[in-house]
Amino acid sequence: MTLDVMPDVTRDTPRKAAPLLEADGLVRIYETRKGLFGQPVPVRAVNGVSLKVAQGETLGIVGESGSGKSTLGRMLLGVDPSQEGVVRFAGAPLPAAGTPAWRALRAHMQMVHQDPLAALDKRLTIADQIREPLDIHARGNRAERRARVAELMQAVGLRPDQAGRYPHELSGGQRQRVVIARALACGPSLLVCDEPVSALDVSIQAQVVNLLADMQAANGLAMVFISHDLKVVRNLADRVAVMYLGEIVEEGPVEAVFAAPQHPYTQALVSSVPAPGKRLDGRMILKGEPPNPAARPAGCAFHPRCPHAVASCRAEAPALVPTAAGRRAACHLVGGADRLAA
Amino acid sequence: MSRSHLVQIRDLSVAFDGVPVLHGIDLDVAPGEAVGLVGESGCGKSVTWLAALGLLPAKARVSGQVRLGAVDLVGAQRATLEGVRGAKVAMIFQDPSSALNPVIRAGRQITEALGIHRGLKGKAARREAVRLMELVGIPDPARRFDLYPHEFSGGQCQRLMIAMALAGEPDLLVADEPTTALDATIQAQILDLLATLREEMGMAVVFISHDLGAVAQVCERICVMYAGRIVESGPVGRVFDAPRHPYTRGLFDALPSLTGPRTRLSPIPGTVPDPRALPQGCAFAPRCARAVAVCSLQRPRLEPDADGRALACFDPVPADARTPAEAQHPAARASAAVRAVDEAAPPFMPGPHGAGPAGSGPDRGRWQEAAQ
Ligand SMILES: Nc1ncnc2c1ncn2[C@@H]1O[C@H](COP(=O)(O)OP(=O)(O)OP(=O)(O)O)[C@@H](O)[C@H]1O
Ligand SMILES: Nc1ncnc2c1ncn2[C@@H]1O[C@H](COP(=O)(O)OP(=O)(O)OP(=O)(O)O)[C@@H](O)[C@H]1O
Ligand code: SF4
Ligand SMILES: [Mg+2]
Ligand SMILES: [Mg+2]
Repeated sequence: MTLDVMPDVTRDTPRKAAPLLEADGLVRIYETRKGLFGQPVPVRAVNGVSLKVAQGETLGIVGESGSGKSTLGRMLLGVDPSQEGVVRFAGAPLPAAGTPAWRALRAHMQMVHQDPLAALDKRLTIADQIREPLDIHARGNRAERRARVAELMQAVGLRPDQAGRYPHELSGGQRQRVVIARALACGPSLLVCDEPVSALDVSIQAQVVNLLADMQAANGLAMVFISHDLKVVRNLADRVAVMYLGEIVEEGPVEAVFAAPQHPYTQALVSSVPAPGKRLDGRMILKGEPPNPAARPAGCAFHPRCPHAVASCRAEAPALVPTAAGRRAACHLVGGADRLAA
Repeated sequence: MSRSHLVQIRDLSVAFDGVPVLHGIDLDVAPGEAVGLVGESGCGKSVTWLAALGLLPAKARVSGQVRLGAVDLVGAQRATLEGVRGAKVAMIFQDPSSALNPVIRAGRQITEALGIHRGLKGKAARREAVRLMELVGIPDPARRFDLYPHEFSGGQCQRLMIAMALAGEPDLLVADEPTTALDATIQAQILDLLATLREEMGMAVVFISHDLGAVAQVCERICVMYAGRIVESGPVGRVFDAPRHPYTRGLFDALPSLTGPRTRLSPIPGTVPDPRALPQGCAFAPRCARAVAVCSLQRPRLEPDADGRALACFDPVPADARTPAEAQHPAARASAAVRAVDEAAPPFMPGPHGAGPAGSGPDRGRWQEAAQ
């Protein structure tokens, strides 16, 4: 299956269709307080993110822990408010969270969370949890709903005998399959997955990855797939966006980006991926303090840890600009890409 | 294996509501050693250590032995267990949100642990807590000391839990999926951190993870579990270069790769069996491509092999079969070459791998009466 990948910014070819999901200049600021009487310190968790996802396309999002991936994922669905910027779904700005229009839209855009235990209701059996969205959005009659629940459970690898169990009676991986089945219940057109297979063992992970790929092929499901597992992202995504401290620092077709990362952070990320047979010492372990979103470094946010940083990196923030066909990066030295290879 | 053991688990079994989920685990951890525990969801990795530390709900029936020095932890008094937990053995739990108290500030949760295990109070406790937060890579720990858990990212919560676990300077750290929520660069730092702590504090680590790559980097020894039993164990290098239990091999085949063509992934067919209706014979037989007639009748016992591993299989993958890891990762080829030298010694399994086990003498020893 070939997909209409990201609009080629360098050539400005006309796109086939408007993107299903479009975010423009999203900013999310959390206020945290220092001590009991301290001044609130603004934390720019997401700092001006723009992205597009076409129907049937999967955008992978990877990046440093705390870089704002989960926050961004929630903003894309309107669950988390944005201080600046706009999200458009099928061409129209998202209705305000909590309104009936927004609730109705949620049948089409679903989320799979990072922590299955927090996402599930401890008092409901897993069959009831999977059926819940069908009830809320009034899909089918009782028998049809029951059949759909059985179908979903089988699709995600849960046994029929587990239907009456409660979340705490399942293992961690089994719980996440319940969450995925529930998200797929209404046949959404967009799925925002936040670390959906992180809690799963490799075999079920392979099943779920294949399942998500199948859903996409069959229904034109679009996905935003947040994960720290680059191998899974590479297998599933068409494009990938790499985040660092609230911003996208690199973006492009997933195979190209992972085969030849341009931004120094992406280079460190790709070199850190553990693989059987690859020793710890062969990795490029990042030095220096992990970034603090409450005190962004001046210039390029990555410069204090960047092995290539030059004077301009400390002074001026690099913009996310086209670097190659379908690729963008935010680094003074890229584009310019061959200088980094030296 | 002459090192005296820090923890010695013998025939550890657990049942919930009369349904056995752990069927007699034998596992030793030497001081300072790093042991990896892998296996599919629900195979009993967490339950093994929750049982060992007396953390299962009252309805769980636990039998067997868990020796820590002279003490047997199975059926031990609450006070004994509380003295062990955190101070001698600390555990990092799988669900970060369930282990951190959402209504207590992050820093205080660490100072409380420091108070209990090391008697630190006030300023000293605070200083040490900030140091621990810094050690595990929380940015700006002094300011973030007073934040609540929900104000940290998922990965940061995981790091907070590692800091809490380290508060008691334990002899053994049981880390249940400690890097699951972390990005690759932080994961590399945490794995590095665990390696450093092992070296500096002589701390042993049990590393529960489904990330085979991470296990390979942290651990010296690996145990592969399936349906409540250990099915293969041995030195990490050997098991990873040439997985021999068909289940272990299946785990490797299911891995996506960062290089090479993007192909559909190959999960192990079927699902993990219901603990209430375990197949007779080898629990993996219904999903196993190598299964022969005897596999569905009798249960293979975990038996030591000539090359330092233990294996519970009637028809294991031949030791020289190329692993997908070697095919995918050029770096692995170097170790494969080393392995080839190791294997100058005659392999334990004679004959072609297609031959039924009934014909090969050494395998008789594996047989055992079928499970009831
Ligand atoms: N409710 C909140 N209040 C204050 N700060 C928050 C809140 N939620 C998140 N943050 C902060 O915002 C930043 C981004 O958090 P987010 O959870 O989006 O990161 P992430 O990229 O998903 O990280 P991870 O990979 O660890 O899940 C972090 O620095 C985090 O501490
Ligand atoms: N409190 C409980 N009550 C009933 N059954 C339980 C309970 N806790 C665990 N189990 C069952 O025990 C078995 C082993 O669970 P365990 O949590 O040890 O799996 P695991 O190997 O850690 O899996 P995962 O990789 O998903 O974390 C599973 O079948 C699970 O459903
Ligand atoms: S912009 Fe400069 S500092 Fe930032 S990453 Fe690129 S090179 Fe390093
Ligand atoms: Mg997150
Ligand atoms: Mg577990």
